[in-house]
Formats: sequence, structure tokens, C-alpha cells
Amino acid sequence: MRISTLSLQQQAVTAILDQQRQLARTQLQVATGERILSPSDDPIGTSRALNLEQLASQLEQYEVNNNLLVNRLSLSESTLTQVTNVLQRVRELAIQANNDTQSAEGRRLIAAEVRELGDELLSLANAQNGQGEYLYSGFRTSTQAFRRTDAGVIYNGDQGQRLLQIGSDRTVADGNPGTAIFQFVPSGNGRFTTTAAAGNTGTGIIATGSVVDTALFTPDNYVINFLTATDYEVVDSGGATVSTGTYVDGNTIEFLGTQVNISGAPDPGDSFGVNPSVNTPLFSTIDNLAANLEQYSDSPAGRAIFHSGLNASIDNLDQGIGVVLNVRTDLGSRLTSAETQESLNSQLSIDLQATISEIRDLDYAEAVSRLNIQLTGLQAAQQAFARVQNLSLFNFLR
Amino acid sequence: MPDFLNTALTGLLTFQRSLAVTSHNIANVNTPGYSRQRPDLAALPAQRTGQGFIGQGVEINQISRVSDGFLNTQLQVSLSEQNRLEAFESLASRIDNLLADDSIGLNSATREFFAGLQALADNPSSANARQVVLSQADVLVNRFSTLQSRLNGAQDEVQGRLQGAVDDVNALAVSIADLNQSIVESTSAAGGQPPNDLLDQRDALINQLSELVSVRTVIQSDGSMNVFIGSGQPLVAGLQFNQLSLSDGEFGQGFPEIRLGGALGGGLVTPSVSGGLIGGLLDFQRELLLPAQNTLGQTAVALALEFNDQHRLGVDLQGALGGDFFALDPPLVANSFNNTGSATVTASYGNAADLVAADYVLSFDGANYSLTRTDTGAPVAFTGTGTAADPIIANGISIEVGAGIAAGDRFLVRPTQNAAAAIERVINDTNRVAAAAPVTTSIRSINLGNATIEFEEVLDINDSNLLTTTTIDFITDTTYSINGAGSFAYTSGAPIDVNGVRVSVSGTPVAGDQFLVQPNSAGVGDNRNALFLAEVTSRPTLNGGSLSIEEGYGQLVTRVGTLTRQTQVNLEAQSAITNQAEQAQLAVSGVNLDEEAANLVRYQQAYQAAAQLISVADTLFQTILSSVRS
Repeated sequence: MRISTLSLQQQAVTAILDQQRQLARTQLQVATGERILSPSDDPIGTSRALNLEQLASQLEQYEVNNNLLVNRLSLSESTLTQVTNVLQRVRELAIQANNDTQSAEGRRLIAAEVRELGDELLSLANAQNGQGEYLYSGFRTSTQAFRRTDAGVIYNGDQGQRLLQIGSDRTVADGNPGTAIFQFVPSGNGRFTTTAAAGNTGTGIIATGSVVDTALFTPDNYVINFLTATDYEVVDSGGATVSTGTYVDGNTIEFLGTQVNISGAPDPGDSFGVNPSVNTPLFSTIDNLAANLEQYSDSPAGRAIFHSGLNASIDNLDQGIGVVLNVRTDLGSRLTSAETQESLNSQLSIDLQATISEIRDLDYAEAVSRLNIQLTGLQAAQQAFARVQNLSLFNFLR
Repeated sequence: MPDFLNTALTGLLTFQRSLAVTSHNIANVNTPGYSRQRPDLAALPAQRTGQGFIGQGVEINQISRVSDGFLNTQLQVSLSEQNRLEAFESLASRIDNLLADDSIGLNSATREFFAGLQALADNPSSANARQVVLSQADVLVNRFSTLQSRLNGAQDEVQGRLQGAVDDVNALAVSIADLNQSIVESTSAAGGQPPNDLLDQRDALINQLSELVSVRTVIQSDGSMNVFIGSGQPLVAGLQFNQLSLSDGEFGQGFPEIRLGGALGGGLVTPSVSGGLIGGLLDFQRELLLPAQNTLGQTAVALALEFNDQHRLGVDLQGALGGDFFALDPPLVANSFNNTGSATVTASYGNAADLVAADYVLSFDGANYSLTRTDTGAPVAFTGTGTAADPIIANGISIEVGAGIAAGDRFLVRPTQNAAAAIERVINDTNRVAAAAPVTTSIRSINLGNATIEFEEVLDINDSNLLTTTTIDFITDTTYSINGAGSFAYTSGAPIDVNGVRVSVSGTPVAGDQFLVQPNSAGVGDNRNALFLAEVTSRPTLNGGSLSIEEGYGQLVTRVGTLTRQTQVNLEAQSAITNQAEQAQLAVSGVNLDEEAANLVRYQQAYQAAAQLISVADTLFQTILSSVRS
């Protein structure tokens, strides 16, 4: 083929320019450390990397949420530990007071401490976090959860429970509404509760027993009436007699799957109530306990009513301790799942980063060796150009 | 008797001219488009004598141009394609880089917006978190409008370059017609000898023209050349020429149309022109820019609609319903200038999931409407009759036609093309961010069962009883009434829809248990709607609910990247092809200095020899003279 002088030059220049272009690209890749300089270099890879980056940034946010969640749960957990301590102390005091050897002064001191503990419980229930949010007022985080009024302590929050997102389809509550901890505490043994009628003249003391036959147990307001000192009948809310029996001090009374304990010597005409459990706020339980202590009347009948009341209070406190413990267990399991999720997230994050790096980042060994080859190629092209351009027949026509 | 002095003279003259041709070649070694020339030598007719035919010397038949018409055409075609791809690639790679740039692209902004909403969900009552949401929304809105303005900037540039290219084509058409005239005149004046350099010039102009637009050429018998563009529309015919012009399209919107007009007649050539810079610009506009604008707009509209829908379902810090968070302009509607009716057509957005990144033409034939996509020309199915009560609804837009429509009227509907520019945030007060749900649920403390109630979602924010208290009473362990009415069978966890809200009760309720659904008051720590809001960017809302907003944008990036990549690959291949065509043409027509050096030596020697003949003739003559003298 014929070669024209112009094309000889053009081709050489084109080749050199081409080499330089490739070299510049490799140089930029090496300088930035990125394999993909613009999406068109690898459209599929870019789109994958975009998706993965989106995921990675979501994970980062979930991690932030997770830390916040752990902080809030831990704060709630430590607050509830103190709540448990307060309740335990109140229970100890109730048991102390239940002892007949207690002096009037002793009972007064105990009553004062119970009131004090009630206030402490109130302040714990109104705990706030670092942002000034009330922990236990549901969604109404800027409303004080519990307030003491003439009618006792009332709840001003709602039952909202805020969820935080710690995984793409994983949300965990960052707290509990105050109702679930302080308000919705069943009384008695959780199924039923017992009272001694205020007008009792005997020394019969009632203590909550248990449900012995769930199938027979029917919640209703029952009254155990003592017809004589030894004969009693159990009447339901409709006035129907459901059971009769002979009372022996220390033995249990059983009817319709329900078992209660009455001790002492009830007078004929004395009566005791067996009522279904109702939710009793812890503050009322404590207030009632204190009131019972303060109203102690030093007579056989008064003592019997006092002890029956204390028995009910201790039952209620046990229920409260149980409820708080349940919430704490729940908090603990949420903390555990937050930790599990965190390690899951960070593992996922590491995997994602590795994949993103695989797609985006430059293989330096390959790039540097490519750079060398391209440099050599460019040099060769330049040298060849210089040599070829020197050749001309005119040089020989002298 | 032949006069060999004359014969020598023809040699002298011929080789002198040959040397002139050679020096012309050497002089033009670097002239683009120059075809090397060659003296075609021929022996003069011989003189017949009794002894036979005696030659009378040499002459130059013709100084011809070494040029191959086929190779020239091949080069023109290659140049057209090359320039088309170059124009496409240079614009596409800019869009490509634009979309990938983290500081301009949508990705980082959606990520930050998501993070802002999550932070709001973490601390719904924090004024800071609320401010961050507003600021991040601004960043996102700005990204949308920046991207849109960059894309629109590319469109302006395309139009500017198109105008320039059209002007260049027009100037070339004039020059080619002028050259045609010179060539015809020179040819006839020179008795049919080709005006080589004029032909070269004309070929060079055709090459320049091919770089602008794909052309077809036909040489006429008088030496003039006819040039056609598009599907055979004449640009130059002999001494006459047409001119291209840009004009607004039928709807006075968007990309201008190219028209051909002038002495040779013409018409609209936009759909048929291809190749060259003009073809590249049109292809870029059609295949990349418009779809990119539409997809971006679709993403913006979907985000705004979805986010608004969710935001409306929430309540703000004051307990007021959320309302719109973003504002959008309604879809653009433009009338055809051919319309004879007086109807005004308005459009609005419907369901974001149905939205398609396309433009539509609505036309009326006197009885029925039809809706077609402008990109594919395919008809689009719709419902409705176009009245305010029963608007035409198709692909996530609803269209209302006012009174006074006439048969044959056409309207362009562009729901997405410029939508990303118009999106703005309308919530300005941090307190107005609706992070909370409108209702709260609660269980009564008298409840004996362990059943709990869950808020699921707001079904109808316009329910007039939404913000009234609803009580769910369990009449028995397994049936309940709502606000004292009805008796419904209870299934644990099954949705219960009351007053525009969906709740669910799960667990074991006992007769007498009560559950309340109440308006959310003072629920400043409520983040339920914020969690939903944070989900919007990753919720599948595009293309019938198959793509999230993030993925939709990712698809745009991939599409542009793929097209750019394709063009780059094609351009690389085309460069090689063009280079080959150029080399092939140069191989035939290009000047080789070594060859010319050899020719120089050759003609010089021949010239010297011819000159020697004159000296011989002189000697012979002197011999005769001296013999007479002596």
C-alpha cells in the first residue's frame, strides 16, 4: 500500500495521543485510588455501589439509633432498679409493721418512712433523660408523668411507646409508658384480693390464698359471712350462697377453686370480702399502707383489721415488684436484641464496605503494572516518530 | 521529415510542466483535502513517411487528480458517524459525571434527608432535630433544582450548538453552490479539463458538511454536485441551494424543529436528519436528555407526593394535622398553535406510583379524546371523559378539559420534564413537622384481660370523626362493640378500622375490657409518623410500586452511564473506522515526498535529456552550416 507523507505523520501523532490518553486515565486512577472514575466506566458496578452505599448509610443511621436506644434502655433500667429497691424497702417495712411487738413510735416512724419512700417513688416515676424528656409519660414526653393531687397521684401521660428503628425492618421500643409500670399493677394475688369488713368485731385476720382450681374459679365479689364463731357461708354478688363450712382457726377456706386463709377468732356477723383483682397504682398501695399504719387502732378488732390490710398491701407490693421485674426483664431482652442487632449491623456494614471497595477501588498492582506498560508504549511511539520523521529522500538529493 | 528540434521542445515543455505539477504536489504536502496531481503524458501522433511512422514528441493529455470517489464517500459517511458520536459522547459524559458527583447528585442528599428523619424519630420533641429535617429537605430540593438546571443547561447548550451547526450548514450550502458554479464555468472554459483544485475544495467542503450532518451527493454531467440531506431533501442542486432554519415546535415548547426552505422547496426535516453534529445533538436530546429530565422529574414528583401523603397523615407539635410538606407545580400543558378551539386544559398529579417518565399529546377528534406518548407514539389507555367531575386519568395524571374544545385540537402534557425545578418546601415552622400520629390508643385500667391495642396506620385523614374518642368494648370474651354499637367477632391481631384509623387488638380480652382510640394530645414524644416519613425514600413508590425513589435515581444513573459507555465504545470503534477511511483515502490521494523526490529526479533527468537534444540539433545544424561555409 502507498503511504502518504501526511498519513505517516498523522498516524504516528494519533498513536501518541491515544497512548497519552490512556496514560492520563491510569494516572488519574492511581492518583484517586478509584477504579470507576465516572459511572460510564462501569454502569452496572456504579449502580450496585450506589445501592450498597445507600444501605451502608442506613446502617450507620441504625447504629446511631441503636446507641441512643441502648442509652435510653439503660437509663430506664437503672431507674427501675431503684424503683425495685424502693418497693423492696416498703415491703420490708410492711412486714416489720405487721409484727404486733411493734411500738406505736415504731409504727409512726415506719409510716413516715413509707411516705418518704412514696415520694421517692414519685420522683423516680418522673425521671427525665438528658433531653429533658420524661421517661414514663408515654408520648407526652414534655408532660410530667405523675402528679400528686388531693385525689392521690394521677397519671398525666398516655400509653404511647416510642419505637426506634435499629434495622431495616427492626424497631424496638425505647421505653415503657408509666401505666405499664406504676399503674397497671393487679391487686392481691393477681386473680383476687381479700379484705376484712371495717365493722368486724372479732380477731379474724384474712390473708390472700390462691386459685387452686382454675376451671372452677369464677371472678366475682364474694363475701364470707360468719354465721356463728365456727360456721360460715360464702355468698356471691347475686346473694346466692356458693359454699358453707365450719371454720377451724388456721385451716384454709375453699370455695369455687378459691382458697383463702383466715386466722384468729372471728365473731358471728363478721365478714370478709374476696374480690377480683383490679389494677391498683403503686402510689395508692403505698398511700394506703401509710394510712393503715397511721390509723392503727390498738384493740383486738382494730389489730385484726390492721393485719388484714397489711396482708393486702404486702400482696399488692409483691405484685408491683413482679410487674417492675417483668418490665426490667423486658428491658434486658430489648438491650440484648439491640446488642445482637448492633453486631449484626456492624458485620453487615463491614461486608458492605468490602463489596463497595471491591467494586469501586483500584487494584493497585494491576494499575501500576499497566502504568508501566503504557509508559513504555508511549516512549516507544515517541522514539519511532522521531526516527521515521528523519527519513526523507530529499536528504540524499544533494 | 519530422523536426526533432520540435520533438525535443515538446519534451522540454512537458517536463517543465511535469516539474510544475510535482512542485505543486510538494507545496501542498500538508494541505488538508488536497489530492495529489499527476500529468498524464501521451506521445504525439506520429508522422507518416515512406519509411514508416516517426514520432513527434510528447504532450500532457490532462493533469488529473488522483482521487477515488468511493473512498471519498466512505470517508464522508465515517465523518458523519464520528461527529455524531463525538457530539453525543461529549454531552453524555458530562451528564454522566454530573449524576455521579456526590456533591451534586441526589444520593448524598437523600441519605442525609433519611438520616435527618431518623434523627427526628429519635428525638421528636427536639427543635434541633426538626430544624435538621427542614434543612435537609432544602438540600434535597436544591439538589433536584440544581440537577434540573444542569440538565436544562445542557438543553440550552444543545440548542445553541444546533443553531451554530445550522448556520454552518447554511454557509457551506452557499459555498458549495458557488463552487459548483466555478467548477462548471472553469470546466467549460478549459475545454473539459478538470479544475482539480476546485474539485478538492468542494470535496473538502462536503467533508465539513458531513461532519455537521449526514449527506448524500450526486455528481452531475456538467461537473456540478447535488447534495441531499435527511431522506433525500435537496440542500444544493447545481447552482441553487436551500437553507436550514430552527423554529418552535407545534406546541411552542421544548426542543426546536429543523426546517428546510429556499429555492428548492423543503419542509420539516427534524425526524429524517441524522448523523454529524446535528444528528448527535438530536439523538442526545431524544435518547438521553429528555428521558433524564423526565426520570428526574418523576423522582421529584413521586418523592413530593409520597412524602406529602405521609406527612398529611401525621400531626405536628401543636396537634394539628400535618398538611403538605413539599409543593409542586402542576404538570405543564401547552396548546398546539393549530388549535381552533378555545378550551383550556389543566392537569394535576394523581397517584405517584402510576407516574411514567414520559410526555403525552392529548388530541380530540370531535367526539373522542386520544392520548399518546410522544416518545414512542403509543396510545395510552385512560379513564374519564375530561370533565371536572370525571377527568381523564392515565399514568398518574388527571387532565381536565375546559369548555370550547374543537375537533383536531391537540395539547402537549409534560408531567415530569421540568418538575424537579419546581419542587419546594412549604413547611417553614419546625413545630409544623408532623412527627406524631393523630391518635393514641390505650387500655383501661379496669381491664381484666391481658389484651393490648396497637395503632397500625391512618386510613383516611379526612374522616370527620378522626379526632373523636372511640371506645372498643368487649361485650363478651370474643365479641366487641365500637362506641357501643354493633357486635363484632374478635380475632387476635386482626385490623379494626374505626373513624379513619386502623388499630389492632391482640391477646386475650375479657368481657368488660375497654380499649380507647383518642386524639393525640401533648404527644410531643410521639415519633410514629416520623418513622413512616423516614421510610418514604426507600419505599417502593415508582413504576407501579416496583422501585424506590433511591432506586429510581440509581436507575437514571445507570441508564445514563450505560448510554455513555455504549457511545464511548462505539466512538472508539468509529474512530478506528474513520482513521482507516482517512488512511485509505490518503493512501490514494495523499502526497508522498519520497515519491515526489523521485519524480523530481525523473523529470529533471528527462528535461536535461531533452535539452541535450536541442544541443544535438544545434550541433547538427552547425555541421551543415560549416560544410556550406567551407
